[in-house]
Amino acid sequence: MSLRRGALWLLPGLILAAAAVLARPGASYAYQDRETVLAGSSLQHPAGTDDLGRDRLVRVSGALLISLTGSLVAAAITTAAAAGVGTLAAFGPAVVGWSAMLVCDVFLALPWMFLLMMVRAAMPLTTSPAHSASITFLVLAALGWPACARAVYRGAVAQRTSGWMLHARSTGLRRAQVIHHILPNLLPLLIPQFLVSIPAFVIAEANLGALGLGISEPLPSWGGMLFELNNSAMLLETRWVYFPLALLIVVLLALEGAAAEA
Amino acid sequence: MATAGRWLAQTIAVVLLVMVGTTTLLRFAPGYFSDAREMDARYAAVTRAELSAEAARSHSLTQMLGTEIGGWIHGNSGVSRQFGVPVWELIQPRLAVSGALLLRGIALAWTLALFASILSSAGRRPSLLWQVPAAILLAVPAAALATLCLLINSGGPVLVLALLLAARDFKFLHRALHKAWLDPHVLHARAQGVRTRHLLRAHIVPALLPQLGALASLSIVTALSALVPIEVIFNVPGIGELAWNAALNRDLPVLLAVTMILALAVVCSGVGSHRTAAWREA
Repeated sequence: MSLRRGALWLLPGLILAAAAVLARPGASYAYQDRETVLAGSSLQHPAGTDDLGRDRLVRVSGALLISLTGSLVAAAITTAAAAGVGTLAAFGPAVVGWSAMLVCDVFLALPWMFLLMMVRAAMPLTTSPAHSASITFLVLAALGWPACARAVYRGAVAQRTSGWMLHARSTGLRRAQVIHHILPNLLPLLIPQFLVSIPAFVIAEANLGALGLGISEPLPSWGGMLFELNNSAMLLETRWVYFPLALLIVVLLALEGAAAEA
Repeated sequence: MATAGRWLAQTIAVVLLVMVGTTTLLRFAPGYFSDAREMDARYAAVTRAELSAEAARSHSLTQMLGTEIGGWIHGNSGVSRQFGVPVWELIQPRLAVSGALLLRGIALAWTLALFASILSSAGRRPSLLWQVPAAILLAVPAAALATLCLLINSGGPVLVLALLLAARDFKFLHRALHKAWLDPHVLHARAQGVRTRHLLRAHIVPALLPQLGALASLSIVTALSALVPIEVIFNVPGIGELAWNAALNRDLPVLLAVTMILALAVVCSGVGSHRTAAWREA
């Protein structure tokens, strides 16, 4: 329990530290210092530099903030879409409900990673780095809602047949009138779905990036930095190459812990 | 009979929608209709103009869909745009490779997860010995774990797949088993001195059968997702690697065939879990 509570404090701490690193004068995730390529830890570059002479600490901080922001936005979109579709399917006409759940089945019938890769590959590969980041997280949001929508649908169906709903309907309230009471009752279901989506999206972005289909350079991303692990010559030069992976694991453990605690 | 009919109708609807979705996605993908031969100076201007005209003729989505669906109905899955060979010839040998990898990975994962969860859940307090590695494994992306195994030159694709699945399976199994051990009749039997092996065989495992069925189905979906990065990083010539190549090269016939095979595999694995629940209720 205390570990999970610690995770709640660790996350804001990491975000503040990352923001502080990026706010340092002269800190740039794209600046290449060709004199100090693959340097080890120093006062100037506490986590060393990569093969282009870019400060690894600055890049990791940037990746942390981009990944968390993107995942938060994607999780919010996913949860909102799932809430809309699930509620509509439960309270709308039977045909709408059946069609919505069939669409969910289609999405769920395809493995998540495969679906992501397919959709991301169909998007332009020559966009600007900022656009590639937006596309990556929008794709995650667009494909993440069906599982959540199924859960919301089940919750909404339970609400539809609940005592208070029957009572409200029997007193003459129409379906459209009671529907705005549904969302507050679905919040205990939506909040965990939102929190669980965040680490899932962070991992998905890292996996996509590691396959070369994520956020494009020079924007820093977890997936892009995991690419460095493929360069065995670089691994012999400096052990700081493992730093992004270690931090990613810490961030994901903290996110999982925070979701479990909430 | 009615349930089987409903399942069949739903499977066909899902596969058809997958087909429509994949074709639409690829049809509107930037650069899908560009043909490298149009830029090849060795081709005559007339030939290049003919290639452009042929590409323009096939721009219609309905025509593309009609060709694909008609081909599948007649048992023809098309020809790969990238390799120029029938798609089935590409898929067949790779299915065996990926199937073997999946079977071995899932079998090892279930053995590990069951062993760890039985040991972990039987105690009074949750064992950190099993929970900490499982939590760390859940936080490592599949691609990173595969790369690390490659770097330290120990463990292959089967071990990586098994570890990833075992961590997820352990999480569910531990929770379910822990709950099952605390059931009043099991507690009573334990107090009476009934042996653990007998309790597991007669009470715990039968009570968990529906959940185990659902978990098996989930394992297959998770394994199929992890297949892509694992096969790409370990250079395994399987379905995941083929799909990755096809996605990068907009090879619609291959992508469509792989998508449909995966969709069918997931839908069929769902039936497995429903059957387990039905056996339990019977």
